[in-house]
Amino acid sequence: MDSFSPSSTSSNGLSGQSTEALMDQVKSQLAQAYAEEFLETVRSKCFAKCITKPGTSLSGSESSCISRCVDRYVEATGIISRTLFSSPR
Amino acid sequence: MIINMLKTSHQLVHISHQEKQKAMVSEMVGKITNVCWDKCITSTPGSKFSSSESTCLTNCAQRYVDMSVLIMKRFQSMQ
Repeated sequence: MDSFSPSSTSSNGLSGQSTEALMDQVKSQLAQAYAEEFLETVRSKCFAKCITKPGTSLSGSESSCISRCVDRYVEATGIISRTLFSSPR
Repeated sequence: MIINMLKTSHQLVHISHQEKQKAMVSEMVGKITNVCWDKCITSTPGSKFSSSESTCLTNCAQRYVDMSVLIMKRFQSMQ
């Protein structure tokens, strides 16, 4: 997957794009990387908590467990974020 | 860690100090939530956290940071 797709490449490998456009690209790729990592963590946690005996399809209770699990994990992230970064000790 | 990708990439545009800080914060919150979830949410997730669960999460995050500080001090005293 080509990250930067430069239209022209100078000797140091950087494209003819403006620095600002490159920065935006980097920020957006960082955000995407974190989102993917977050989703992977949620999948792992919720599978562990909710799918104890895999059947031939997802049961209603498994589905509701997964929905609650996603909500709780997002909530936990918020709790920890506020604990560490908005109330200095 | 994602932030290591930034440190090792030589061709990358200079990342501002602010962006690095933001990335480090995200990384840390992600890591701590990961471990504290396992420590504190022991039963099937409910429609809200019990007060003991949310207290546990708060305590866990703070103790994890305290532990990190202690580890650094201990390690540095060995140098």
